[in-house]
Amino acid sequence: MFSRQSKQIFPAWVRYALLPALALSMFSVATAADYPQPGDLAKGSMLWAENCGRCHQVRNPQDLRDDQWITTAFPMSIRAGLTGGETRDILTFLQASNAVIPTAAVTVTSVTVATDAPVQSGKEIYTQTCVACHGADGKGALPGAPDFALASGPLAKSDDALTQSILYGYQSPGSPMPMPAKGGNPSLDESGVAAVLKYLRDTFSH
Amino acid sequence: MTKTSKKLRLGFLALAAGLLLPGIVLADAEYDALQAQVRDLAAQLEAVQRTLAQIEQKQEEIPGTQETAIAALKQDIADASEWRTPNSLIHLAGYTDVGYINPENGDGSFAVGSFSPIFHFQYRDIVMLESELEIELSPDGETELTLEYLAIDYFLNDYVTVVAGSFLSPIGQFRQNLHPSWINKLASAPPGFGHDGAAPTSDLGLQLRGAFPLGEMRSNYSVYVSNGPELNAVFEDDEFELEGIAAEAFGADADGEKVVGGRFAILPMAGLEIGVSAVTGKATVTGLEDEDTGEVTEIEGAIARDYDVVGADFSWMWKNLNVRGEYVRSKVGEALTGTTASEGATWKSWYTQAAWRIPATKIEAVVRYTDFDSPHSSEDQQQWALGLNYLITNSFIVKGTYELNDGIAGSRADNDRLMLQLAYGF
Repeated sequence: MFSRQSKQIFPAWVRYALLPALALSMFSVATAADYPQPGDLAKGSMLWAENCGRCHQVRNPQDLRDDQWITTAFPMSIRAGLTGGETRDILTFLQASNAVIPTAAVTVTSVTVATDAPVQSGKEIYTQTCVACHGADGKGALPGAPDFALASGPLAKSDDALTQSILYGYQSPGSPMPMPAKGGNPSLDESGVAAVLKYLRDTFSH
Repeated sequence: MTKTSKKLRLGFLALAAGLLLPGIVLADAEYDALQAQVRDLAAQLEAVQRTLAQIEQKQEEIPGTQETAIAALKQDIADASEWRTPNSLIHLAGYTDVGYINPENGDGSFAVGSFSPIFHFQYRDIVMLESELEIELSPDGETELTLEYLAIDYFLNDYVTVVAGSFLSPIGQFRQNLHPSWINKLASAPPGFGHDGAAPTSDLGLQLRGAFPLGEMRSNYSVYVSNGPELNAVFEDDEFELEGIAAEAFGADADGEKVVGGRFAILPMAGLEIGVSAVTGKATVTGLEDEDTGEVTEIEGAIARDYDVVGADFSWMWKNLNVRGEYVRSKVGEALTGTTASEGATWKSWYTQAAWRIPATKIEAVVRYTDFDSPHSSEDQQQWALGLNYLITNSFIVKGTYELNDGIAGSRADNDRLMLQLAYGF
């Protein structure tokens, strides 16, 4: 790698510092056709909740556009000690959660909560989409997230009101950050909302 | 048939005719009106058909109208996509703070902390230039501009990033992660963790850093080689004495001696991080500080001394509670010869901090204890800092901090302070 002459030019520490870097570069990942590659939204929401708040108040996903989140997530991955995969997961969650869905044009007038809806699917949705902020016990895992178990908590509201909040986002009183529309999961539809709502009532209501 | 019955029949017929005739006449009038209405509608329909035919004819006369509209729409979509995913991204971030400081022994004063723009230039997921400037207003009104860091980050793979240039010191947590005013939960840095304290602030060199899973745990690391710090001495009582460590990035290596260092941390569970740090190398006295004015002049002929730093840190987040702590010790060895020969010196500091966000409010209570030991007894300081913050948004914060400082009586380290601060991260 180094000729006799280069050994004279570069001190020993340079050689030792560069060798591992060159070795590591052999395993570098080829650039994808587009960037960054999509990550796992559910993992991303968990990683976002677990890591960003260790140093600072978690930012509202709607604070930045998709491209601004890219230039924010990459340097943050260096500061926070995240792998590339973890960074892509968080980025996928943030980019999915920053869309502002107008509520003025659409109003949910009535939603029927299916009494025989599969509990597991509601639980799955909660575990994948909601648990990062609301916690497995529903008491709130992040500052500002409300306590579902409180009698005066969010579950005191009607199904229609809660469905509106889930579909279009909601900011709890005292919280500086709103819940993103559909909890940041764009694939969540009204039947999924109904299922997760039934799970919330079955699991956390008094 | 009798005459009477004939009369009755005639009378009946006359009555019937009298009743029916007006109805027949009325029916004829309605029929005429309906006929007229149908004629009008037929005329209107013809007019509409003519207009439609004219429109169709006009559309046919302009070839490719629909195709043109579709092409324009496609172009609009393509333009929008260009904006969403160009290869090069530019982003301006940063933070700033302003406030009011009222020391126990002294006059209160409004103050501008700093304006710190951060520039991000990124090419795909391959490389990023990140740089932070620090613009401050000095007490005499001068504007001071400092390059806080300027580094090129080469994202080698998912586990390794090469950071080349000047970078925030990865030793511990405060400097690299917590010092921006919108992140720091109190209005001041813990003693020993600011500039010229026990902890290094920045370095200029080459750094490898990243993260990898460690079984069920996660871990992260950084290793670097850099120009290292420079030392200041003071001539006091007919002998030289080490005054301080200028542990920040220098554009040239005055003594040609490099330092190597790094940090390794594990996250055994969600929300908990435990790290250890170390630096070793050589550092040389390059500045002589005037005892009275504090001005530093260059000095030559000093020999390189041993320079070693060790540190440990942790942070733990659980719901609304955030607890962290950090220890750092910087030790400079003795120099028996050279122009500034003197004994060695050690700076060390540790702090622990708890912040609790009151549920369902935007209020946060903070308490921090720091113990800073310096070779100069006038700098030794124990500090309780109490804070109450109001989060207008998650990056726009009103902070109230009261420092209870305990040092040598009459020294700056003994002066309690009230600080009010508005911090905004963008």
